Amino acid sequence: MTRSLILSRRHLVAGAALTTLAMPGIVRAQAKDPIKLGTAMPLTGSQAGYGADFIVGMRMAAKDVNDAGGIAGRPVEILALDTQADPQLGINAVNRFIGVEKLPMFFIAWSAVVKAVAPVANREKVLAINTGANAPEIAHLGDYVYTAFPLADVDISKLARYTVNTLAKKRAAVLYINNDTGIDAAKIYRENFTAAGGQVVAFEAYDPKATEFTGMLLKTRAANPDMVHVHGLLTDVPQVIAQMRQLGMTQRVSTYSVAYNPKIIEQLGAAAEGLIVTSLAPGVEENPKVAPFIERWKKEIGRAPNGLPYIQYQYDMVLLAKAMYEYLDKAGKPATGDTLIEALNTVKEFALPLTGKLVIDGHRVDKPVYLLTVEKGKFVPLTTLT
Amino acid sequence: MEYLATVTILIAIYVILAASYNLVIGYGGLATVAHPIFFAIGAYVTGLLAIHAGLPPIVCVALGAVAAMVASVLLAASSLRVSGDYLLIASLGFQLGLLQLIRNLEITGGPGGLSNIPSTIVGAARTPTFLAITIGLAVVSVLGIRAIVRGPYGRAITAMRDEELAFTALGRNAMSMKIVIFAVGCGVAGMAGGVYAFYFQYVSPEQFEVLQSAQILTMVVLGGMATAYGPVVGAVLLLAIPQAITFLDLPQNVMAPLQGIIFTVLVLLFLFLRPTGIMGDSDNKPRARASEAA
Amino acid sequence: MYEPVILAQIFWTGVATSAPHVLMTLGFALTLKVTGLWNFAQAGFMAIAFYTMFFALNGLDLPIFVAVLLAIGTTIAASLATEVYGLQVLRERQSGNLMFFIFTLILSQFIMYVITLIFGTEPQTLFKSILSPVQIVGGVAVSDWDLLGVGLMIGGMAALWLFMAFTKEGQFLTAVSDNAKLAELYGISARRSYRVTAVIASLFIVASMYLVGSHGGVVPNSPLELILGAVLGTLLGGIGRVFAAAAASIFLALIQSFSILVLASRWQNLLLYGFLFIAIVVFPRGVRLPKFRFALAGR
Repeated sequence: MTRSLILSRRHLVAGAALTTLAMPGIVRAQAKDPIKLGTAMPLTGSQAGYGADFIVGMRMAAKDVNDAGGIAGRPVEILALDTQADPQLGINAVNRFIGVEKLPMFFIAWSAVVKAVAPVANREKVLAINTGANAPEIAHLGDYVYTAFPLADVDISKLARYTVNTLAKKRAAVLYINNDTGIDAAKIYRENFTAAGGQVVAFEAYDPKATEFTGMLLKTRAANPDMVHVHGLLTDVPQVIAQMRQLGMTQRVSTYSVAYNPKIIEQLGAAAEGLIVTSLAPGVEENPKVAPFIERWKKEIGRAPNGLPYIQYQYDMVLLAKAMYEYLDKAGKPATGDTLIEALNTVKEFALPLTGKLVIDGHRVDKPVYLLTVEKGKFVPLTTLT
Repeated sequence: MEYLATVTILIAIYVILAASYNLVIGYGGLATVAHPIFFAIGAYVTGLLAIHAGLPPIVCVALGAVAAMVASVLLAASSLRVSGDYLLIASLGFQLGLLQLIRNLEITGGPGGLSNIPSTIVGAARTPTFLAITIGLAVVSVLGIRAIVRGPYGRAITAMRDEELAFTALGRNAMSMKIVIFAVGCGVAGMAGGVYAFYFQYVSPEQFEVLQSAQILTMVVLGGMATAYGPVVGAVLLLAIPQAITFLDLPQNVMAPLQGIIFTVLVLLFLFLRPTGIMGDSDNKPRARASEAA
Repeated sequence: MYEPVILAQIFWTGVATSAPHVLMTLGFALTLKVTGLWNFAQAGFMAIAFYTMFFALNGLDLPIFVAVLLAIGTTIAASLATEVYGLQVLRERQSGNLMFFIFTLILSQFIMYVITLIFGTEPQTLFKSILSPVQIVGGVAVSDWDLLGVGLMIGGMAALWLFMAFTKEGQFLTAVSDNAKLAELYGISARRSYRVTAVIASLFIVASMYLVGSHGGVVPNSPLELILGAVLGTLLGGIGRVFAAAAASIFLALIQSFSILVLASRWQNLLLYGFLFIAIVVFPRGVRLPKFRFALAGR
C-alpha cells in the first residue's frame, strides 16, 4: 500500500473547489423542497369545463407566488387529481394526497365529493378546504372540513331578500333541479323570500335529466308569479328559460353564479335580457385586479374563463395557503392538519387579491354578494349586497 | 399505506361482485345487467339500518344481503315467466327505476346520497381490519361459487344453461333453478354492498348506474365467463390498471376516455378473438363446461 | 290549470317533444323486429350522428343540408360496418344473446369514449341558439322546432309504412322478421335485409339527433339515456310491432306531460319506470289493442 492516506493539499483544494461548485446545488436542493398544494377537481366528465379551468387558475397563482419568492422561500407546486365530480374517485384522489403525497391539507369542490371525502379527512386528521361547492351541509361535515367559499345560505338568502325589498316582487316561483345543488338552495330561497314578506307561489323540482319543462312551466304560469328563480346547472337552466319564453312567460328570471357564463347569453339571445345572476367574487368594476387577470387569461388560454368568480377563488386559494404556511413558518410549527386549522382560525382574516377580504367564521365564511344582470347582450353589474 | 389499502379493499369488493355476477350470467346463463342495483340495495339497507336502527354491523350487512335477495327473487319470478331475454330489459328497467326512486326519497338522502353512516371500528386498526374482512369475503365467495359449480349441482346448472329443453324434458325445474342462482348471486352482491357502506361511510346513487353495470360485465368477460378465477383477474385488471395509469403524467382530459377506450377495445377484441376470456379455454367455445372450469 | 288552452298546450308540446323519441324507437324497434336483436349499439350511432353534424356545422362551417348528409353518411357507414363485421360474425358463430348484448353495449361505450376524447364533455348544441321562432295558434305556442319534429315523425312513419307494405325490399324485411330460414328458402337474403334495416335505422337516428341537438345540450353520454326511452316504447308496443312501439312512445310522452297536472314534476321520470314495471308484469307481450294494429302484410 503506497498510497498516502494523508489528504494532500491538492486533495484539499480539489475538495474545496468541488464543494464550492456544489454549494449552490446543495443550497438550491434544500430551498427546492416544494410545498405541494393538492386539489381534487373534475378534470374529465361533464363538469370538466369548470374543473380544468380551476386548475389553470391555481397554476397561474402558483407561478405568481413563485416569481415573488415562493412560500417562505419554498416553491409552490399544484398537484391536481381528477374526480369527475364522482364521490368514489374523490375518495381515491384524497387517499392519494394523504397516503402517497403525505399532504396535510387539500382543496376540494363539488358537494357530493366534499361529502364523500369528509369522513376521510376527519379520520386522517387532514384539513379539507372547500373551494367551490355550496351545499349548506358542508358547514357540518366535521372538525377537519372547512370552507373558503360561501355556502348557499349566503348568496341565495341575500338574493331572495333583495328581490322582495328592492325589486318589489311579491310572488316568486322557484324552479330547481332535483339534486344537491337545487334542493338546499331552493329551500333557502323560499325561507328568506317569505321571511322578507313575499309569497312563493310555485315550488317545482325537475329531474336532472329532463329536457322538457312545458308542464312544469304551465303550472308555474298558472300561479301568476312576478319573479322566477331557476336553480339548476348549465345543462338545464338555458332550456328552462328558453321554454319559458317560448310559452309566453315574460317574468324576470334570477339564477345563481353558475349561469354567470357568456355561453348562456349565446344560447338564449334576447331571452336572456334582464337575467339576474349572483357572483361571490368582485367583478371588473369592484376590484381593479380582475380586469388584468381576465386579459392574462385570454392571452394564455385564448378564450374567456368558465365561471370567472369561481376561478378567482381558486387563484386566491394559493394565496390563502401561502398565508397559512407563513404563519406556521413564523411560529416554527410543522404543517399538519391540526396546525393548519390553527393557522386558519388564528389568522382569521385574509386579504386575498382577486376576491377581497376573507373572514373565517368557524366552518363558514360570509362574503358580499355581487348581483349582475344581462343588458343588451352583456353582463353588467347590478348591485352589491353585504 | 391508506391509499393502497383502499384500492385493495375496493378490488376485493369488486371481486365479490364480479364472482357473483359470473355465477348469474356465466354459469347460470341469465342475461341481466342490473347487478349494481343489488349492490346498491345491500349498501342502502345496511346504511339505513346502521343510522336509524343501531343494529350491530354484521346484522345490518346480513339484512342488506337478504333485502337484495328478496328483490332479486321478485324480479326474476316476474320476468322469467316470459323468457330469458326479457330478464335483460326487465333488470335494466328495475335498476334505473329503483335508482330514480332512491333519488326522490328523503330518507335515502335523495340525490345527495346517504352520508354519516356510523363508524364501526375507530383508530389505527380500522384499515387492516377492513382489509382482512373484504379479502376474506372475496376468497370465500370465489371458492364458494367454485364449490357450487364443481359439484353435482354445478353439472345440473350447466345442463340447464346449455340444453334447457332437454333439461326440462328430464323433469328438472329450470325456472326454480334460475331463480335460486339469481338469488344467490344477488344476495352476495348485497353483502358486498353492506361492507362497502361501512367502509366508505357514504353511499350515493350515481355509483350504481349503467356505467357500473358495464364495468362489472367487462370484468367478467375479460376474466373469463364461467371460470372460477376469471372474475378475480377481471376485477384486479379493471381496477388496478386505471390507478396505475394515473401515475403516468398524461394530460388529465385524455386519461379518463383513454382508460375507457383501452378497456372497451380489450373487451371487443376478446369477444371476437378469445370469447372465453383470459382464464377460459382457448378452444373458442364461449361456455366452458362447469366441471372443467378452474 | 284545466282550461282547454292549457290542456291543448300540454298536448301539443308533449307530442312535439316526443318526436325525436318516436324516431329513435322506430329505428330500434325495426331492428329488433327484423334481426331479433336489442341493438344497444344504436346509442353509439346516435352519438356519431350528432357529433358529425356538430362538427360539420361548427367546426367546418358547412351549411345544414351538407351537415345532415354527412351525418347520414357516417352513421350508415358505422351501422353497416357493425352489421357486417360484428353482428354477422357473431351470428355465424351461433353466439348467444349474451354475446350480442355485450358486444352492442360495449361498442356503444367505445364510440362514446372516442367521442369524449375528441370533443370533450361540455354540453353542445347544434346551433348557437336553442330558441326557435314561435307562433301563437289558437292560444297555443307552436314553434318551428315543434313543426319540424311532428313533420319528421309523421313523414318517417308514413315512409316506413309505405316501404314495408308496398316495396319488395320492405316485404322481404317482413318475411325475414317472421322466419329468416324460411325466407332464405324462398331466395330472400336475410343478410341483405339486415343491411337494409341498418340503413333505415340510421336515417331515423340522424333525424332524431338533429331534433335533439337543436333543442338542448348533448354530451357524449346522452345517447345512452335517450335509448332507454326507445327500449321502453318497444317493450310496451310489443316485440316485433314497430308502429305499436311508436304509438307507445307518444303515449308515454303524453302521460309524462299530463302527469304534471297531478304530480310534482320531479316524479315524471319515475312514471316511466312505473310503466315499465306494469308492462313487464301485466303485459309481457306488449299491450294489445286490436283497433291499433296496423296492417303490415297481414301482421
